[in-house]
Amino acid sequence: MTPKPTPIDGFPTSTSRTQAETEAVLLEHIPDPSSPHAKPTLQKNAHMQFLVRNLVQGFPTRYTSQDASQPWLLFWTLQAFSVLQVALDPGNKQKCIEKIMSWQHPDGGFGGGPGQAAHLLPTYASVCALAIVGRPGPNGGWDQINRKKMYDFFLSLKQKDGSFLVAHHSEVDVRGIYCLLIVASLLDILTPELVEGTAAFIASCQTYEGGFASASHPIFTLNGSIPPPPAPRPPLGEAHGGYTFCALASWVMLQPFVALSPEPKPTIDLKNLLRWLVHMQGIEIELGGFKGRTNKLVDGCYSWWCGGAFALLEALGLGGLQNAESDEVPIDSGTGAGVWDDVDDGPFNREALQEYILNAGQHPAGGLRDKPPKNADAYHTLYCLSGLSSAQHHIFPSKVRKQQLVDVWEASEEPNDNIRKDVFSELLSWTEEEGASHIVGGHENRLNATHPLSNLTITHTEGLAEYFYKQKVPVRVRTGKPEAKAA
Amino acid sequence: MTGRPPADDRVNWPQTFLVPAPRLVYNKTTVSNPFRPPGEGFPPFYIVSPSRMPSTTDEDVPLFAEREDWADVQPLEQYEGANPIASIFYTAEYKDATNYFRAIVKSGEKSPRVLELTENIIRQNPAHYSAWQYRYETLLALLPEKFDETPPLLTSELRLMDELAVQFLKTYQVWHHRRLLVPLAKQPMRELAFIKRSLEVDAKNYHTWSYRQWLLASCYGLGAAADEANDDSVIDDAEEVWAGELDFVDAMLSQDVRNNSAWHHRFFVVYGCRGLPSSESERQRIFKRELIYTKQNISLAPSNPSAWNYLRGILKETGNSISVVKHFARLYAFPHGSNEKHDIVDLDNPPPSAEAELPSVQAMEFLADVWEAEAIAKLKTEPKAAKTETDKAVEMWTALANEHDKIRKKYWEHRIRDAHHLLQASA
Repeated sequence: MTPKPTPIDGFPTSTSRTQAETEAVLLEHIPDPSSPHAKPTLQKNAHMQFLVRNLVQGFPTRYTSQDASQPWLLFWTLQAFSVLQVALDPGNKQKCIEKIMSWQHPDGGFGGGPGQAAHLLPTYASVCALAIVGRPGPNGGWDQINRKKMYDFFLSLKQKDGSFLVAHHSEVDVRGIYCLLIVASLLDILTPELVEGTAAFIASCQTYEGGFASASHPIFTLNGSIPPPPAPRPPLGEAHGGYTFCALASWVMLQPFVALSPEPKPTIDLKNLLRWLVHMQGIEIELGGFKGRTNKLVDGCYSWWCGGAFALLEALGLGGLQNAESDEVPIDSGTGAGVWDDVDDGPFNREALQEYILNAGQHPAGGLRDKPPKNADAYHTLYCLSGLSSAQHHIFPSKVRKQQLVDVWEASEEPNDNIRKDVFSELLSWTEEEGASHIVGGHENRLNATHPLSNLTITHTEGLAEYFYKQKVPVRVRTGKPEAKAA
Repeated sequence: MTGRPPADDRVNWPQTFLVPAPRLVYNKTTVSNPFRPPGEGFPPFYIVSPSRMPSTTDEDVPLFAEREDWADVQPLEQYEGANPIASIFYTAEYKDATNYFRAIVKSGEKSPRVLELTENIIRQNPAHYSAWQYRYETLLALLPEKFDETPPLLTSELRLMDELAVQFLKTYQVWHHRRLLVPLAKQPMRELAFIKRSLEVDAKNYHTWSYRQWLLASCYGLGAAADEANDDSVIDDAEEVWAGELDFVDAMLSQDVRNNSAWHHRFFVVYGCRGLPSSESERQRIFKRELIYTKQNISLAPSNPSAWNYLRGILKETGNSISVVKHFARLYAFPHGSNEKHDIVDLDNPPPSAEAELPSVQAMEFLADVWEAEAIAKLKTEPKAAKTETDKAVEMWTALANEHDKIRKKYWEHRIRDAHHLLQASA
C-alpha cells in the first residue's frame, strides 16, 4: 500500500509543492517487501572507500568552500571511520596529528587552517580529531594543546549575556557554545567563571515551538546590565534541529553549574521540546527521516541533530530508561503487538529512522547524503552514520557508572575540585544498555556507539578525559545480558 | 511594496532607492569594537569597485604573484613540507590569493590593497571567516574615527555586501559582516528593505530572518528605545517600524501560509521582542487579533503545523488555557460531516473548506491536549470527570498511534502512559 502524501488541503503553496516533489522521489526508495533485497544493507565497504579516497587522495575542488573548515573535514572523516569500527595505522595517524597541530593559533584555540584565526568550531573539530588519532607524549598532539591559552581565548569571547562569540568580530550562536563546552569538559578547563550566565542564555534561545534558535538578543538596561526575567531576550531565528542539538547538549553539560547558581535558576520547557523533536520526524512517505524545522524537508544530517537529541533528554529525566523503570502502567491503547513492543526504546521511531538512512541516505557510489538524488559529502556521511548509530543503540546516563567514577576520584589541590569531579563523572557516566540494540537489517549493519554529547566513541571520550583530568577510569563490567537482537 | 526597484537591478541599487535612515537609536552596550585600532591609517578615499575585481574564471587576470604592486610581499604557503592527508585540490587562483593573505596576516598590514585581497578570497570562498575578520579590522583602520556623512569607503562596502549577500545567501559570514556595518553606517531602514528583497529569493533563509530580528531588536527593541526615552520622535519611529513588520509578515504568509520562518517572525514581532503590553485592554486586543488571524489561516490549510504551533505559542505566552480554542479544534479533528452544520457563519470559528483533508492530525493532537488539560484541572475536585476527559484524550492518541500518525506511535503511547500516571498519582 502506498503511504499517504502530506495533505495539501486543496491549497498548494511553495512549501507544499517542494514537499510533494520530495515525497515523489522518496517513494521510489521504499523497498518492495517481496524483493530479495528488501532487507536493507549498510554498504560499509563503499562508505569506507569513499572516506579513504577523501583522506588519502584528497577532496575535490568544490570543497574549497570548506577551506576554513579543514578541521571539520578531518573530524568528519576520522569519526566516520570510528563509527564504522575502523582505526588508522600509526603512520597516517601521525600525519593527521601534524596537520591538526598546524591549525593551533599562537594565542590559543584552533583555526580552520594554518594561519587562520582561532574559532570555536574548528577548535572542537581539532580537539575531537586529536581524541581519535592523538596520544600523550612528544609529537602526540595531546601535550601540545595549549590549554592555558585556549582558556584565555574562550574568556575573550565571553559576552555579558552569558553567550560567546564564535571568533573575534564574529557571531554569537549556540553551535559555538556547544563546541566550547565539549572542549572545556574534555580538557578540564571548564570553570564556573567561564560559564556564568551561559545556562540562562541557552534557556532564552528556546522558541515557542519547543526547539531552540541560533541565539537570542539581550535587551540591556541603561546602566548596561541585563535585567532578570521576564525581560524579553527574544530568540533570533526559528526552532532548528542543529541549534536544538547544540543547545540541549550545552544545557546538559551546564547542569552541574545550574545546580550551584542562585535563584531564580534558568529553566527550559522539556515537554514542549520533546513534542517539537518528535514532530521533526517525517511521516511514512518521508521514510521516517528527520527534518530540521517545521514545514521543511527531511535531511539525513538531522538523523543525528534531532535523532541523537533523544538520548540527551534522558539526562534530564525524560523518556527512555528512567521512564521504563518507573512504576509501569499497563498501556490500554490496544496498539497491538509490534516486534519491539516489549522494550521501551524511547519516544521516537528508531526503526523508521534507520530505514531512512539505509534506503535513502546511502549514495550508490559510497558515502551518505542529505536525500536522493543528492551527492554524498563528508558532513552528511558522518551525521547519517552517527544518527544511524544512535538509533541502533541505547546509551543512557548511568547513575551506577557515575557513582563508580566518583568513588575512585582522586582529589587534588586544584580549585573547583568538586565541580571538576561532577563534570568528569557526568560526562563519562554515559553507558550502553546491553541487549537493548535494535539493528535494522541485521548484525552486519551494526555500528559503534557514539557518546551522545561529544559524538566521539565512548572509548575516545574516556581516553581524552582520563588523561586531562589525571584520573583512572574504572573498567566497565559487562553484565552478560543477552546480545543485541536484530529485526 | 513601495519603493521597490526593478527585479533586474538587484546588484547595484540606484542611490534613489537607498531609503534615508531615520535617526538611529543604537544601544551602545550591545556592540562595541574592542579591537578597534587607534586612529592611524589611510584617509578613506580608496574605493574598491566590484567591477574592477578579478573574476576567478577570467584567465587574463594576473595572479597576485605576477603583480608588481604585490612584489614586496613574500607569499606564505599553507603547509611547509608537503605531508598530504585529507588535502583540498585548490585552484591556482585560490592558492595564490590565500598565500598572500597568510603573509598579510603575519605582517599585520591594514591598507587599501588588503581590501582587494580579502574581497578576492571572499568571492572564491565566502566562508573564509578569517578573511572577513581581517577585512573588518582593515575597514576600521581605514575609516575615520568619527564621521557625520557616510564615507565613500563605507558606501562602497555596503554596495559590495548587497551584491555578495544575494550571491552567497547561505553563508554565515556574509550576514554577520552586514551586522558589523550597521553601527557604522546607521541605516537600519536600508537594511530592512534589503532583507525584504533577499527573502524574495529565498523565503526561508535562516540567516536572513535572524539578521532581520537582530536588526529590529537592537535598533527598535525595548532597550534601544529606553536609551533615549525622553525623545518621543524616536519612539514614534519604532512604532511605525513595528507596524510595518506586521504588514510584512502578512505579505509573506499570503505568499506561503506554510512558511514557518514567517510565523516565527510574527511571534517575534508581536510578543517575543517586546513582551506583553502593559495595559490589559491592549493585551486583550492583540490576543484577539492574533487568535482570529491564526484561525483564519488554519481554515485555509488545516494540516499546517506552523499555524497550529503558533496558536499553541500565543496561548501559552498570554497565559490562556488551550480550552479557549476547543470548539475551533473540534471542527478540524474529525472527518467531514461529523460536526453539525450551522447556517449561521460563526466568524470566531471559521470552518474548514470542502477540500480540507480531515481529520487534521494537528487538530486531533490539539484536541487531545485540550482534554488532557481539562482532566488535569479537574483532578482534585472532580476525579470522575477527570477520568472521563483522560479517556477521551487517550482515545484520540490511540487513533493517532494506530491510524493517523503511526510514525509517532511511541510518542502517543508515551503521552497515554503519562496521562495514566497522572490519574494514578492523584488517586
